Amino acid sequence: MSRVHFSLIRVLLIARNTLLEASRQKLFSFLLLLALGLVGGAQSFREFNFGASELKFLADLGYGAMAFFGAALTITATAQLFFSEIENRTALTLLAKPVWRAEFMLGKYLGVVAVTAVFCALMTVLLVAVLWSRESALLRDIPDSFTQGRTLRIADLLLAGYLQWLKLTVLAAFTLLVASFSRTQLFTVVTGFFVLVICHLQYLARDAYAQGGSTFAQVAAGFVGLLFPNFQLFNFADDVGAGIPVAWDRVARVSVYALGHVAAACGLAVFSFRKREI
Amino acid sequence: MSTVASAVPAIELRGLIKDFSVGLRGVKLRAVDDLSLRVPAGQVFGLLGPNGSGKSTTIKIILGLLEPTAGGCRVFGLPSTQVEARVDVGYLPESPYFYRHLSGRELVRFYARICGLGGAKVAPRVAEVIDWVGLTEAADRLVGTYSKGMLQRIGLAQALVHDPRLVILDEPTSGVDPVGAAAISELILQLKAQGKTVLITSHLLTQIEEICDRVAILDRGRLILEGAVCDLVGRAERQALIVEKLSPSELQELRGWLGLRGRTLEAVTAPRARLDQIFLERVGRGEAKNPEGGG
Amino acid sequence: MWRRHAGSRSSVFANVKSRLLAIFVTLGGLALTGAGLRWMEAPLWAALRAEQPALRLGSAGAAAGQGVTLGLLGGFRAIVADFTWLRLHVIWEQRDLAATDTLLRLVTTIDPRPLYFWVNGARIIAFDMTAWRIAEAGGHEVLPAVQRDRLGAEQARLAIRLLEEAMTFHPGNAALWIERANIELNRLRDGEAAAESYRKAWEQPGAPTYAARLHAELLRRLGRKAEALVWLTRLHPQLPPEEEGTELVLSRIRDLERELAVPVMQTYRPAASVPPGRSAGESRK
Ligand SMILES: Nc1ncnc2c1ncn2[C@@H]1O[C@H](COP(=O)(O)OP(=O)(O)O)[C@@H](O)[C@H]1O
Ligand SMILES: [Mg+2]
Repeated sequence: MSRVHFSLIRVLLIARNTLLEASRQKLFSFLLLLALGLVGGAQSFREFNFGASELKFLADLGYGAMAFFGAALTITATAQLFFSEIENRTALTLLAKPVWRAEFMLGKYLGVVAVTAVFCALMTVLLVAVLWSRESALLRDIPDSFTQGRTLRIADLLLAGYLQWLKLTVLAAFTLLVASFSRTQLFTVVTGFFVLVICHLQYLARDAYAQGGSTFAQVAAGFVGLLFPNFQLFNFADDVGAGIPVAWDRVARVSVYALGHVAAACGLAVFSFRKREI
Repeated sequence: MSTVASAVPAIELRGLIKDFSVGLRGVKLRAVDDLSLRVPAGQVFGLLGPNGSGKSTTIKIILGLLEPTAGGCRVFGLPSTQVEARVDVGYLPESPYFYRHLSGRELVRFYARICGLGGAKVAPRVAEVIDWVGLTEAADRLVGTYSKGMLQRIGLAQALVHDPRLVILDEPTSGVDPVGAAAISELILQLKAQGKTVLITSHLLTQIEEICDRVAILDRGRLILEGAVCDLVGRAERQALIVEKLSPSELQELRGWLGLRGRTLEAVTAPRARLDQIFLERVGRGEAKNPEGGG
Repeated sequence: MWRRHAGSRSSVFANVKSRLLAIFVTLGGLALTGAGLRWMEAPLWAALRAEQPALRLGSAGAAAGQGVTLGLLGGFRAIVADFTWLRLHVIWEQRDLAATDTLLRLVTTIDPRPLYFWVNGARIIAFDMTAWRIAEAGGHEVLPAVQRDRLGAEQARLAIRLLEEAMTFHPGNAALWIERANIELNRLRDGEAAAESYRKAWEQPGAPTYAARLHAELLRRLGRKAEALVWLTRLHPQLPPEEEGTELVLSRIRDLERELAVPVMQTYRPAASVPPGRSAGESRK
């Protein structure tokens, strides 16, 4: 009998099915609420009369909402879409086909990543639209603040959206890793949020490591610093709000960094799922 | 591996043991206990036994979904731990659930493509199996709205869409009404006619005896009995005749006729119609599909 | 190929062993990845830390309370700073000097990246706070001019100190120097210092032309007209032709030449106008 090779087509089929499930479960409907919130926030900022800086406040609010709700969406969607297969026993049918477990896991991962990509893309486009229309209005009302023309750099705004998404892809990979050995969805979600917090804080452990202390504490801190990716790295996205141009070499560096962690976490998720009893 | 395909059994289990650790302290539960079985190609094989006797566990091991604690399992000569062993296998899980967000047709198409079907062949093949299980009218409804019998049938369609040589059906008739169960029995006989091997499980021992060539009976993970159905239940030296009611004198005459030939009439009873058969006759669908009806 | 029977006891051990192996592989794999990606991360991280002192926890976190600390930890620095600024805005409307000052420090510590915080902060310190202090001391009518100027100068120095701090985060930023010159001129009434600040501003990339013009203007007012003329004649060729500012510079040059009675032969002659296509790249804006 001929060998069954790892197939990207099967991975993409599973990914597409996962995305379809997310969309038909109306996982995106809360996006509408967020959008309304953003537009509402845009209105309320006018009252403070910040002039041209209103745009910074808007951008910060938009990306902040994206980071916060994006993280919540990523963790819950990863856990939900993975455990719906296990608990509804659809994984049973799927894995009884000539499908590699790696294909299943990667398909699930890419599906979640597609969900977050849709989320980030829609939010970014909406944010750019809101900012652009506000800038146009400000340009009319207080032209003195815009002696050099428009200050918004669309490319940077899009790049900031991309960085937000990049962080979420790492978060999704780590959540999937947790799910691969976790028994329940609740455990996965809770652990996912812990991972999120630790990834933001791991630099403190590394500082502690650098500053010394007892040997044991130092080793533990150093280990934590190694285990978890440093999510603070992705936050230079909010430089955009401050009007600092995003440096391309940094973007490239962070992308490689994220990709490395995604590859490792997905690989380990596959490893731990390999012998899981379905 | 043998070069002659027919000589290779569809499934071969040797000394299969499966322990589950249950409870916090890793207390073990033996679900399958030293099971050895051969399922010859081209037959309908029934795996029978009460609930919890290890039928589903055995099937999951055959499909590589579980790893055996000890022993081995081969499908068409390939170890079941390999992905390749599942290429020619179709599987209908016990009380199946499918992606509720897909329509029946989308679901079967998804599995068809997962199994490597591609291009222009997919749509006609999908339509064909859906038609075959009788779901054409409901094909574009969401699976989430299907009844239990429809779920079993769409499950059958996804199991058959890639035309596998071995079809494994875990309790395909449990929870299905008599009409549906009869239809499924009919489908299984058709599969056999196509030369496929069918492994079917049931906790209702009588229900599938009529369609199986061979059966194995499990109890608490152990093999109790295994053999050809006709050997196990059929009594070749005996026969039952069903005739219109005879008067006592006619009965006496028959006894005399038999006595002349050195035979005896052992029992005279009024055959009771089975309720499910009555139901099938009333709804008018039973005759053709009931394997007993014609004979 | 067939597996041999395994005793039931050893299967439990095998189970535990495979669990341990999985944990070991997972932790080891993640740690190796972390170590392997350090070279990618380290330079970026070092740069980011230098730009964001608030990442050094403690100073900002302690002063701001738990909400702020949590926000910072979660990576919502910009938003936390924004909302602190909104709080400052409310306090500012109440003219609470001490609280405004505290919040100003806090905002710039949380997020020193936006210029907006620094520039507006300096203005609040130099102008608004002076007004508040005068009002508190009895108002313009009551307080003698000397005292008012003393208060103004005090506040101006505080504002300039803030701008100097800003410059450590934004070296080479023209707007900060212009703001400084503005305060030196209008609050300290120190033309020398202001002229010097405008010169510095003009040296920074992307500086507006008026910074250079104001430098010359202040020199002229200080009586250093010859110096101003030299400055302007050097400035003029650097400017893009056919712009309002450039014309202005030329007319200033003519004014100064007249005031200094420069002989006609030695008057400034602009170079033949450069074709517009090349001028954009060569001249400063
Ligand atoms: N994942 C599992 N964990 C623990 N025990 C299990 C698991 N799956 C099945 N069992 C136990 O194994 C035994 C056999 O189950 P099963 O194979 O489903 O029986 P059947 O299909 O014959 O009804 C049962 O006692 C069941 O409780
Ligand atoms: Mg079962």
